[in-house]
Amino acid sequence: MSRRFRLWLVAVGGAGLAALFTAAALDLPAFGGDHHPYGDRAVHASLSRHTANVIASVNFDQRAFDTLGEMTILFAAVIGCGALLRQTRDEHRATPEPQEVARPVRRYALLVLPVALLTGLYVIAHGQLSPGGGFQGGVVAATSLHLLYLGADYRALERVRPVALYETGDAVATSAYVVTGLAALIGGSAFLANTLLPYGTFNTLSSGGTVPLLNAAVGMEVACAVVVLLARFLDQAVEIEEGNGT
Amino acid sequence: MDDLLPLLVAVPLLGAALLVAGGRLVPRPVAETVGCAVAATTAALALVLLLNSSPPFLEWAGGWTPVNGRSVGIVLIGDGPGLGMAALASLLTLAALAYSWHYFDEPPSGHAGSFPALLLLFQGGMCGFAIAGDLFNAFVWFELMGVAAYALTGHRVEEARAVQGALTFAVVTSLGAYALLMGIGLLYARTGELGMHAIGRGLDAHGRPDALVLAAFVLVMTGLLVKAAAVPFHFWLPDAHAVAPTPVCMLLSGVMVELGTFGVWRVYGTVFAGPGGVPAPEFERTLVTLGALAAVIGAVMCWYQRHIKRLLAYSTVAHTGLFLIGVGVLKPEADDGIALYLLGHAGVKAALFACAGILLDRYGSVDEHALHGRARELKGVAVLFTLGGLGLAGLPPFGTALGKSVTEEAVGGPLTVLYVAASAVTAAAVLRVAGRVFLGLGPKPADGTGSGYETTGSGERPETRHRLSRIPDTMTAVPAVLVAGSLAVGVVPGFAKVVAHSVNETGSAGVAASAHWTPAGVLLGLLSTLLAGVLALLAVTRPKTFAAPDRALWLRRLQSGHVGDYVAWVLVGATVLGALTLPGLLGG
Repeated sequence: MSRRFRLWLVAVGGAGLAALFTAAALDLPAFGGDHHPYGDRAVHASLSRHTANVIASVNFDQRAFDTLGEMTILFAAVIGCGALLRQTRDEHRATPEPQEVARPVRRYALLVLPVALLTGLYVIAHGQLSPGGGFQGGVVAATSLHLLYLGADYRALERVRPVALYETGDAVATSAYVVTGLAALIGGSAFLANTLLPYGTFNTLSSGGTVPLLNAAVGMEVACAVVVLLARFLDQAVEIEEGNGT
Repeated sequence: MDDLLPLLVAVPLLGAALLVAGGRLVPRPVAETVGCAVAATTAALALVLLLNSSPPFLEWAGGWTPVNGRSVGIVLIGDGPGLGMAALASLLTLAALAYSWHYFDEPPSGHAGSFPALLLLFQGGMCGFAIAGDLFNAFVWFELMGVAAYALTGHRVEEARAVQGALTFAVVTSLGAYALLMGIGLLYARTGELGMHAIGRGLDAHGRPDALVLAAFVLVMTGLLVKAAAVPFHFWLPDAHAVAPTPVCMLLSGVMVELGTFGVWRVYGTVFAGPGGVPAPEFERTLVTLGALAAVIGAVMCWYQRHIKRLLAYSTVAHTGLFLIGVGVLKPEADDGIALYLLGHAGVKAALFACAGILLDRYGSVDEHALHGRARELKGVAVLFTLGGLGLAGLPPFGTALGKSVTEEAVGGPLTVLYVAASAVTAAAVLRVAGRVFLGLGPKPADGTGSGYETTGSGERPETRHRLSRIPDTMTAVPAVLVAGSLAVGVVPGFAKVVAHSVNETGSAGVAASAHWTPAGVLLGLLSTLLAGVLALLAVTRPKTFAAPDRALWLRRLQSGHVGDYVAWVLVGATVLGALTLPGLLGG
């Protein structure tokens, strides 16, 4: 297809869609109204189960079944990347050469690493109380490890990051989420029902029933998944080379 | 029993997680056995639930049953069509796992569990989508299906074409998913609900449909039709099918694409069918137009292929068109017919792909011309492939024939001609391949590469470690069972009645229709089979007359392999959807 024809298609299709979007946007509810049918119900449901962070209640209690899907999408992406970025027969591994790191960068990275890791774990642990939670904290915790790559070198990172272990951790965390859901079902309630644990005292770490458990499972899953994903891409970029190797 | 509904998702997902966790420690046969066992358990569960699904289940995940008619939770619908699709997806996953038993090239370094785990995740996504009663939840499983399918499609990364096909698939389908999500956003903004029935009630309460409803309809349908591979959203499908490993093709063509059509049926019936949604005549016009386009283009392109997997892929496009027409006419009889047609088609199409996979692994080629007469020794495969072609044509008593005849009677008029023609042409292409490859009929076609736009299918790498000298029993048993299943859909007494009952119980506004063989239907089925046979015979004996004329070259050029082109077509398709639906919202 010629470039010209393609641009015509994009112009026609894009113009149609733009017109449609504009017309639809004019019919949206006005900004700042006080009619929030879902929000009101969600807040009420969250408070009834002593979960201070309503978002966490929506994610891990009211719509926990969606979150199961979302965490599995990440899980599938990790396995998929593992399969696609595998070392094929016509590729071989080269040992990366360590390179000098500027001293200020090195000091900064090593100083910030524990702080970043702790922040990540804090964000995961307080997911049911304050903004954040497993998804966000997991990413922070996982990236903190990669400060080693910036501050030291690739081999130092590889020592704290046995990929197979993290991959197993990813799978174990996913199973933990499903098993928590099944436990509720076996306990006589519905799949992923928040009925196993007492709801606790509002605004404390142990409040919200199974919300903290599911939140922790997601935190572990996301942290492991991000570590493995980055490892696959870094491997491809740093170590695996094309050619007839060993 | 309602409580067991989420297990259709939970079991395969848990199985996949365990396979990944333990996959490094166990040898390959153990991992593959676990995969098969999990898929089989899920299939059994789906069948048990299906047998008990009258009246349909309604399950609220997390136990959030509605208070005063409103809930914050997610609803799952366990009715005949949804559970039927879940059962079909699970059985085909089992078939794919059995087919790939010991068959693949070595798994990714030391990880025997990753391929079966991806298949199980794919299965979990499909089951979740099939039973979703919540629009956002459907989107989540739609995405899971996608992510697993992209990775599976590009599994043979050694080949640039596999990566290219998977990337195209990922870009186009992701674009569809974003459209779907934006549509959901608009519906949520209007109604504050995510459950499909609840959104439908919310739209009706708001009054007459306006631009927002139209935009939401267009965006949601765009997402689903990209998955269903309706023209002009279909370009990803042949590129992905040509490169995906055979067991994955069986799933993509056998059930995933059909889930897109199922989604259209489900979403229209629950969300847009009321007075606040899209009027029935507009829906009918839109779907029948797109469906007819897909049937014609799919059939023509199918006829002009020599790459066997691409040929089968285009026949899926043509059949998707026929399914969409059946769904579009909004008649209970047509719904029944499509359900039966879809079941029959899944068995036949998966079996045909399985046979093509045997050719690929035996001869390292899926080129109709290069394989001329070479597969004479594979008598069993020849029989299965021919039976598959006859099933595709709608030879009674295949399930495809029953479904097609019931639908033809419902749609009536010129559309019946389209049904007969599209099924005859696609089947003729398959029978032509059978005649040349397995029987060596006709003159040996020139082995040239033809025009630059032709994908020949020569020089493909087998998916097995070496070219097979002996075909493993599992690889022939699976297509045999699948063809038998497609026959059973048409033959087993009372099956059609049960399917019709369960489809009409939830959809079709509760109107019950019956589905059974009629003399006219049988005659039409025989007619399209006869047409297919004659066409195939003529094409084999007079290859010159039936070769692709230069006039048809532009059609082939559209399938350029350029992702940008496909994205442009998605935009155009969405605009066409809007233009086709608009008139009814303006008038009255």
